[in-house]
Amino acid sequence: MKRFSNLLKKEIKELVTKQLIISLAIFVILFQFMGRVSKKEVQKAVGVQTISALDLDGSAGSQALLKGLESARFKILDQSGKTKDEALEAAKSGESKLLLVIPSGFGESLTTLSPSEIETYSFMRSFSLIGTRSQIVVQSVIGALNEALSNSFLKEKLPDLDPQSLKRPIKSRDFVVVHNRVGEGSANNVAGMIMQQSMLIPIVLMMIVIYSSQMVISAMALEKQNKTLETLLTVPIKRTSIITAKMLASGFVGLISAGVYMFGYQGFLGGFGEEAARAGAQSGGSALMQKLGLTFSTTGYLVLGLALFLSILVALAIAMILGVLAEDFRSAQNMIMPLIFMVMIPYFISLFADINSMSLPLKIFILAIPFSHPFLVPQHLYLGNWGMIVGGLAYMLVVFVGLTIFAARVFSSDKILTMKLRFGKKKSAVA
Amino acid sequence: MPNVLTVRGLKKSYGQKTALAGIDFDVRAGEVFALIGPNGAGKTTTLRIIATLLTATEGEIRFLDRDHRKEPDFVRERISYLPDEAGAYKDMKGLDYLHFMAAFYAQTREQEKEYVDRAVAIAARRESGEPSELADRLSTKVGTYSKGMTRKLLLARALMTKPALAILDEPTSGLDIINALEVREVIRRYVKEGTSVLLSSHNMLEIEFMSDRVALIDEGRILDAGTPAELKAKHDARNLEEVFRSSLR
Repeated sequence: MKRFSNLLKKEIKELVTKQLIISLAIFVILFQFMGRVSKKEVQKAVGVQTISALDLDGSAGSQALLKGLESARFKILDQSGKTKDEALEAAKSGESKLLLVIPSGFGESLTTLSPSEIETYSFMRSFSLIGTRSQIVVQSVIGALNEALSNSFLKEKLPDLDPQSLKRPIKSRDFVVVHNRVGEGSANNVAGMIMQQSMLIPIVLMMIVIYSSQMVISAMALEKQNKTLETLLTVPIKRTSIITAKMLASGFVGLISAGVYMFGYQGFLGGFGEEAARAGAQSGGSALMQKLGLTFSTTGYLVLGLALFLSILVALAIAMILGVLAEDFRSAQNMIMPLIFMVMIPYFISLFADINSMSLPLKIFILAIPFSHPFLVPQHLYLGNWGMIVGGLAYMLVVFVGLTIFAARVFSSDKILTMKLRFGKKKSAVA
Repeated sequence: MPNVLTVRGLKKSYGQKTALAGIDFDVRAGEVFALIGPNGAGKTTTLRIIATLLTATEGEIRFLDRDHRKEPDFVRERISYLPDEAGAYKDMKGLDYLHFMAAFYAQTREQEKEYVDRAVAIAARRESGEPSELADRLSTKVGTYSKGMTRKLLLARALMTKPALAILDEPTSGLDIINALEVREVIRRYVKEGTSVLLSSHNMLEIEFMSDRVALIDEGRILDAGTPAELKAKHDARNLEEVFRSSLR
C-alpha cells in the first residue's frame, strides 16, 4: 500500500502542473465573465425595450396599439410631428431598437375592418438572437390586438355567438402520454424541456472522457519519452498497481478539471439558463414534467452518475492501452483521436437522431460503443426502460473488466516495451 | 564464491528474429561481470531479461538460488537496473526523485532516509570527499541537469539500496572523463561492500579496468568468457579489443 500511495502521489503531482492550474483558472475567469456579460444582455433583452413610434393617425385605435405595447414593457419614444424619414433618422441615431409607423386612417380602417398596414423598421446593430427580440415582441402585440379587434367586431355583429367558436370551430386539447402517465401539454414543449434538462450530460461526459484519457495517454507517453518507464517497471511494485495508479490519478485529475470547466461553462450558460427556467416555470412546463414523471429522482441521478463513472473507467482503460502504443508525447496526441471519435459518434447521434428509429445494424453499432450508454441513460430513465439501463451498465462493466485484464496482460508482458504504433520510420525493438 | 546469478540456455526471439540463441553465464557474489559485444549482439536484451523487463523464450535463470521467472517480486526487491539512456522525472527535484525511488525499497522511514543519504553521498561527493557539481543542485529540478549530472543521479539511485545485483547498462555513457572515473570508483567501492555487478559497455578500457570476469557476446551467443587476463593470454592479445577481434575469427 505504501508503494502504491508513493506512486499515486507522484502521478497526481505530475499531472497537476502550474500550466494546468493557470489554464483552468483562466478558463473559469473568462467564462464567468462571459456569463455575466451575456446575463446582462439577456436581462436587457427581457427588460424594458426602447422603441420609437410615429403615430400619423392619432386615433383611439392607434393609441390602443401604443398602450398595448407599453403594457408589454416597451418604452416608447414619441416621434410625432416628424416625417417618416426624420423619425427614421432620429430613431436610428438613438437607443431605439425599432421604429413603428402607424399610417393615417389606421383607426378608421380598424372600425371598418378593412386591412390596415403598419410599418416596422428594426435596427440590426448586431446579428445576435437577442438583438432581434424586440421585433418578435412587437409582432406578438400586434397579433394580440388583431385578436381583440376581431373579437369585438364579431361580438358586435353576432352578439349571441362566442367569437372564439366562430374563428375556431375545431378545438384541440393536447395531451402527452409517457409510459403510463398522462399530462396536458404539447409534445414539442416536453421534448424541449427534456433537451434543456439533459443538455449538460453529453458535454460533461465528453469533457471528462477526453481530459482523463488524454492524461493517461500522455502520462504513459511521457514515461517512454523521458526514458523512465524501464526503471519504473523494475522497481518492486506490481504492474497492476502501476496501471491502477496511473488510471486513478488521471481519472481524479480529469474529473476535477472537467468539474472546474463545467463550473466555468455553467457560469457562461447561466445567463440564458435562468431565463429559460423562468419561462418554463411560467408556461407550467415544470408542473407538466413533474406530472409525466420526466424529472430525475435520487435513484435516477445515482444511475446517471454510475453510467458516467463506468464510461470514464472504460475510457481510461482504452487510453492506457493506447498509451502503451504511443512512442512519445507527440504520437500520444494522435492516439487520442480514435477515442474522441468513439465519444463524438454517440454524442452527435444523441443530438440529432433517435436510436429507436435506426436500422438494426446501425443500432447494434451504436450500442456496441460503450460511450453511447450514458447518453441514452436519461432517455431510458424518463421512459422507465430499466432493462436497457441495466443492460447498458452491465455491458460497460464487462468492457471495462475485459480492457483492464488486457491492459494488465500488456503491462506484464514484453509488449509494454515492444508494442508500438509508429507513424514514421520503423525501428527494431531488439538491442 | 557462491553465484548470485546463474543463467543457462537463455534464448529470446522476437517473432522470426533471434536476439539470444542460448547463452550461459554466472555472476558470482562480489564480482563485476561484464558483457561486451557490438550493437545488436544481445547485451541489452540479456540485461532486460535479468532485470525482469522481458521474459525469456527459453532457458533458466536462478537468482540467489530462487527461480527468477516464478519470483519476479523477490528479484525486483534485490536488484537495481540502470538502463542505457535512462532518464529521471524532469519535474521532480533531484532529492525528491531519490526519496520517490527509495520509498519503493525501504520498509521504514529510517531506512528510506538511509538510502537517500547514501545516494546523496554518491551523487553529491567525489571520491576525494570534495563536493561534486550535483551537491548544490539536488534541490533543483532534474529537467535542468546536464546529461552527466542525470547519469550520476541515476547511478546513485541504482546503488543506494546496496542491491545484491546491480545491472548497469553503459553506466558511464554521457559522462566526461573525470565523472566517468568517479563512477567507476564508486562502482568498485560498492562491489567491495558486497554488491555484485552485471554490466555492459562498448568501452573495452572501462571493462578491463572494472571487471573481474568478461563474456564476449555476438549474434546472441557467448563466444568466450573469463578474466581479462585469462582472455588476453588465451588469445595472445594486448587488450580486450584484440581479444574480441580474435574470438570473432
